[in-house]
Amino acid sequence: MFIFKNKINFLIVIIFLSSCSSMNITEENVYSDNVKTVKASSSMSENINLDSMAIFANATVYFEFDKSSLTSKSIQTLKSAVDALNENTSIKVTLSGHADERGTREYNLALGQRRAESVSDYLVLNGINKSRITVKSFGEEKPLAYGQDESSYAKNRRVEIN
Amino acid sequence: MKKILLILFFSNISFSELILEITQGTEDPFRVAIIEFQGSNEISKDIHEIIKNNLKRSGEFTIFDNDDLLSTPKSENDIIFNDFKILNIDYLVIGNIVNDKLNITSEYKVFDIKKSKKVRSSTIFGIPNKNRQLAHYISDGIYEEITGIKGIASTKILYVTENEDFKLIVADADGKNEQVLLESSEPIISPSWSPDSKKVAYVSFETGMAKVFVQDIATGKRDVVIKNSSQISSPAWSPDGKFLSLTMYQDGNAEIYILNLRNKNLTRLTNHYAIDTESSWSKKGSKIMFTSGRSGSPQLYEINLRQSNARPKRVTFDGNYNAKGSYLPNNEGIVFVHRADVNFQIAIKYFDENFIRPLTESQMDESPSISPNGNVIVYAIREEGMGLLSGVTLSGAKFKLPASEGAVREPSWSGFLR
Repeated sequence: MFIFKNKINFLIVIIFLSSCSSMNITEENVYSDNVKTVKASSSMSENINLDSMAIFANATVYFEFDKSSLTSKSIQTLKSAVDALNENTSIKVTLSGHADERGTREYNLALGQRRAESVSDYLVLNGINKSRITVKSFGEEKPLAYGQDESSYAKNRRVEIN
Repeated sequence: MKKILLILFFSNISFSELILEITQGTEDPFRVAIIEFQGSNEISKDIHEIIKNNLKRSGEFTIFDNDDLLSTPKSENDIIFNDFKILNIDYLVIGNIVNDKLNITSEYKVFDIKKSKKVRSSTIFGIPNKNRQLAHYISDGIYEEITGIKGIASTKILYVTENEDFKLIVADADGKNEQVLLESSEPIISPSWSPDSKKVAYVSFETGMAKVFVQDIATGKRDVVIKNSSQISSPAWSPDGKFLSLTMYQDGNAEIYILNLRNKNLTRLTNHYAIDTESSWSKKGSKIMFTSGRSGSPQLYEINLRQSNARPKRVTFDGNYNAKGSYLPNNEGIVFVHRADVNFQIAIKYFDENFIRPLTESQMDESPSISPNGNVIVYAIREEGMGLLSGVTLSGAKFKLPASEGAVREPSWSGFLR
């Protein structure tokens, strides 16, 4: 059917071309395609607060495919995160949402954000001040596991708290 | 051990040449004889190969080489039309290359065999050491003469590679002549060309968070388009180049906004608690299509910009995942990522049909981008866990582009450059 569609276009153009019997004479100049290479200087903040590192070393919560709702297991993890945040009121946290590689990159970026937001909502609901929380997403761009199987995907659908 | 790995890695590079896999070309391809051009021998050979590959990749041609022919005319006066008629050849191309160190010029002629008549005579003034571009211009002239449709051999493709770091690369439409626009230690996604193909917009994570940058290709000058503290992604240029549609996260959820690039005014386009992202403009700029999760699964919607307060209209209904849509240049349909069951494929839907046509059949196809003439779609595939670029023509021909470095993804096709 694509062939058919295309052929119609071709036919119209060919009929048009053959109706004008003059020869095409053309002259053109090749354009310059030079480009300038730029190096991005990364300002990723790797200097994570040491205290928070110690407390939240294992604070990662996981999600189901295309879901951003918290599982009961995630809530267990988040309860201890809330306790730690309540005990150390000077600590700020960054919630980084991630997705597995299935689906489009931009949709997964948005999905990672939703996951981080639902963790944020839980923390706020449990008394943590929103000003202490930074929410962001890396979508599918920073996988933990590189396999193309469900166990790898499950590890990648996560929110990291640090 | 390190040495062995290195050797393996390099042999892998030389292995990844352009692979033409014409699984299903047009039923009735144009039969075209291309005589190796006269003049500068080595350059003629290279240019001949490039032209042949360009035309074959379209899936619309069967190419006849010097060896396949009964006679190989050097000039117009040498042509014996019957030698080509016997082989049922439709068109003959002859030409020459003049290379005098300072200038490189090519003249070529196209003959309609059935009519025993010259139909085109063209001169191309090249740039020294840019022989590939000269060959692409010749390819496009031949393509246009025969099909009546503008050629895309001289267009460019943007894409992202991940090796030890991330690179935004611009290359010829055949994947060769790679030039690096941006190198970064952090991911780069969603590159897209300005309508005049002089600038690119993309998402870079270099600041620790997704941000949209616009970069001038020739000068390298670049800027973050909106400086605030929340993440911004998915840039798409309006056809007149005056606006960028973007996905903004300042409300805690992905919503689409339109940014006026001149006065930096923002207009909000969507307002829904579900994800709204991946906006793209129709060719006349009257509609914006986007991916939304509002129905429970990602589906494509469009908003008519000519109507005030227009409600999004759902455009895909079949399948459990339809995303990253873009409009065909003739506005007859849309191309997008489609999942009917478990595999992600590139699919097309014509507006006058009520069903979806899958164009590809592997498992992880994504990021489709349509050539400016609307005939070819380049997209990203996975092979043994590695990212590669692949192409499919609407006539059904498939090809893979060479990957010279690391995993390749996120292709974006330029506009016409000639």
